[in-house]
Amino acid sequence: MNMPDMNKMKQDCPNKQECLQLLQSILDGEATAAQKETFMKQHLQECMTCYQNYHLEVAIRGLLKQKCSNEAPEELINSIKEKVIKNLGQ
Amino acid sequence: MEEEVVRNQYTDAQKQEIFDMEFMPHINAMYNFAYRLTLERDDAKDLLQDTYLKAYRFIDSFQQGTNAKAWLFRILKNSFINDYRKKSKEPSKVDYQEVEAYYNSEDVDRQITPDLRVESLTNMIGDEISNALNSLDVDFKTVIILCDLEGFKYEEMAKILDIPIGTVRSRLHRARNLLKEKLSEYAKSMGYKTA
Ligand SMILES: [Zn+2]
Repeated sequence: MNMPDMNKMKQDCPNKQECLQLLQSILDGEATAAQKETFMKQHLQECMTCYQNYHLEVAIRGLLKQKCSNEAPEELINSIKEKVIKNLGQ
Repeated sequence: MEEEVVRNQYTDAQKQEIFDMEFMPHINAMYNFAYRLTLERDDAKDLLQDTYLKAYRFIDSFQQGTNAKAWLFRILKNSFINDYRKKSKEPSKVDYQEVEAYYNSEDVDRQITPDLRVESLTNMIGDEISNALNSLDVDFKTVIILCDLEGFKYEEMAKILDIPIGTVRSRLHRARNLLKEKLSEYAKSMGYKTA
């Protein structure tokens, strides 16, 4: 994404929630190439609200991935494997 | 899953191979899902173990080469609803229905516009985001886990959750607004400017 000219940007987005939904489907990989192109290359360059939302969405996703994972305890994994082996042939 | 009428007759060796090669690689993601749903380590362990044993028992209805992760997540979600939901720490039925009704009203998105800035997120180096996620109602945290942590597509989520794709989309949007609302509360309590 190019760095937009902050001074020329609109401060308020008339379609904030609709834009946010579109932005989320773009980041989720669920938008069409054309939707993505228009939003990223045009709208984000001229709308401050959506530009900030874009960075916020990306930051939250990063933080979720980084902070919200847990690994299964080793002994639990082993106990599951053992129970399944015992079930074989039954 | 309902549409899978095909029953395979795997040999023991094949069963073992599917289990080891297709089911076990998802055990950490599955454990995390179980833990986020139950919010108790012991319940998460039981739920995970039940799910894997169930997956093994019904292995003949799993089609090799299809999405094992989605298949497993669906079993775990259903086991949670059937066996654990009652005793978990989620809001009572009445609260839940109120929440659902509130968040399904048409203009609610216009009322929730959490003011949160990227800069206040970079200060959240502890458990803030994890606590915020845990505090969401089960249906809302589930879609965030499936989409943002596990990378499922909307269509896969629709199958895992037995809901239409349109509902996946709108529930995700609401869930993310709620998460931001929580995070913005944390940011305020930490004394960071949010707007
Ligand atoms: Zn905009």
